[in-house]
Amino acid sequence: MSEMNDDRFSEELEGLREGYNPPPDTPRDEMWSVIQARLEPRGRGVISLDEARETKNVRRYRALRWASAAAAVLVVGIGIGRLTAPGEVPAIADNASTTIARNPNVFRAATVDHLAQTESLLTLVRADARAGRVPPSMARWSRTLLTQTRLLMDAQGADDPVLAELLEDLELVLVQLVGIADDASGDRERVRSEMNLALQGLEESDVLPRIQAVVPAGPSRYGT
Amino acid sequence: MTDFTTVKRARDGDQEAFRALYDENVDRVFRLCFRMVGDEAQAREYTQDAFVRVWECLHQFRGDAAFSTWLHSIAVSVVLNGLRKSDRRRKRERSLEDAGFLAGKPERSEPGVADRLKAAVDGLPEIYRTVFLMYDLEGYPHNVIAETLGVAVGTSKARLHRARELLRGALGEEMREYV
Repeated sequence: MSEMNDDRFSEELEGLREGYNPPPDTPRDEMWSVIQARLEPRGRGVISLDEARETKNVRRYRALRWASAAAAVLVVGIGIGRLTAPGEVPAIADNASTTIARNPNVFRAATVDHLAQTESLLTLVRADARAGRVPPSMARWSRTLLTQTRLLMDAQGADDPVLAELLEDLELVLVQLVGIADDASGDRERVRSEMNLALQGLEESDVLPRIQAVVPAGPSRYGT
Repeated sequence: MTDFTTVKRARDGDQEAFRALYDENVDRVFRLCFRMVGDEAQAREYTQDAFVRVWECLHQFRGDAAFSTWLHSIAVSVVLNGLRKSDRRRKRERSLEDAGFLAGKPERSEPGVADRLKAAVDGLPEIYRTVFLMYDLEGYPHNVIAETLGVAVGTSKARLHRARELLRGALGEEMREYV
């Protein structure tokens, strides 16, 4: 690009400063009154790790471990089975996905268990983050769930757009958690900041309420 | 420059101290939010969300970074999450090419360079757009952008370079007129 062109481009950039989304005056007082109304007195709404572990959801997690392990085996096992099976297996994920998708009951059971397990992880992560910590099991757990989420995304196809969107949002949150867990920098401030980002995404995409809308409450979520 | 004792007072629940932090930073935060979304109602909402989140997370602020940088990182993440959410809802998938910016061969009836440039900025991938808006339009230095986005200074510079490259590409035909 010529110097003349650079000059012209610089002129255009200068014009953008005035012309691209030029901010109006800050509505300071109006915004402050909204913010002030939303400020909670310090200390409320913060759940300690110990308290969080006593919550219903976290207790559920312990009971759910076996059920979710079964779901993991189901989803991943089909993939591995396809990999090791004799004959032509051109696309493992596709075949595993197709197998699950062909049987709505299998797919539903795997999905419900997977979502219940994910709900438990996210609840735990959120509670620990509020206490300023990262759960030690987060790395392994979120990585496993991310793999399962992707398999389910492949499996469910375009049949259920609501579920597809939920899995897509879930994938985004899990990718962030895996990224945090993989961050070897040891920078606690950065981990805290990344964790806040992930939690903010979690809140704003309403992932947890949407999971709870899909996963039946009580014993039925175990498929009984 | 924010006095750390003000932050500590706010952290202890002093809303007057928090108001002081708000007054000191709200203009820049609101400006940036507005640049990113181009809509006053949304910019207000994101600015408010950012400050509420800061209040909720103040206990996590240790003072390793400047308070304003920390606040900006929260504000940017609030906006980006909001934009992602609304983008997904619209099933966006709008690329620069889809928008016809790179197709080139502008005719006289097409929008002028300035309009095409604005549209090209809108179409930039968010990682480039954010750096471009912060540096070229709002004048943040690379070290602040890098800290805000949690990336290296070199990454911030590389993203800005790439953003400008994409914009030049989008205006390729127009730029040739001035050679």
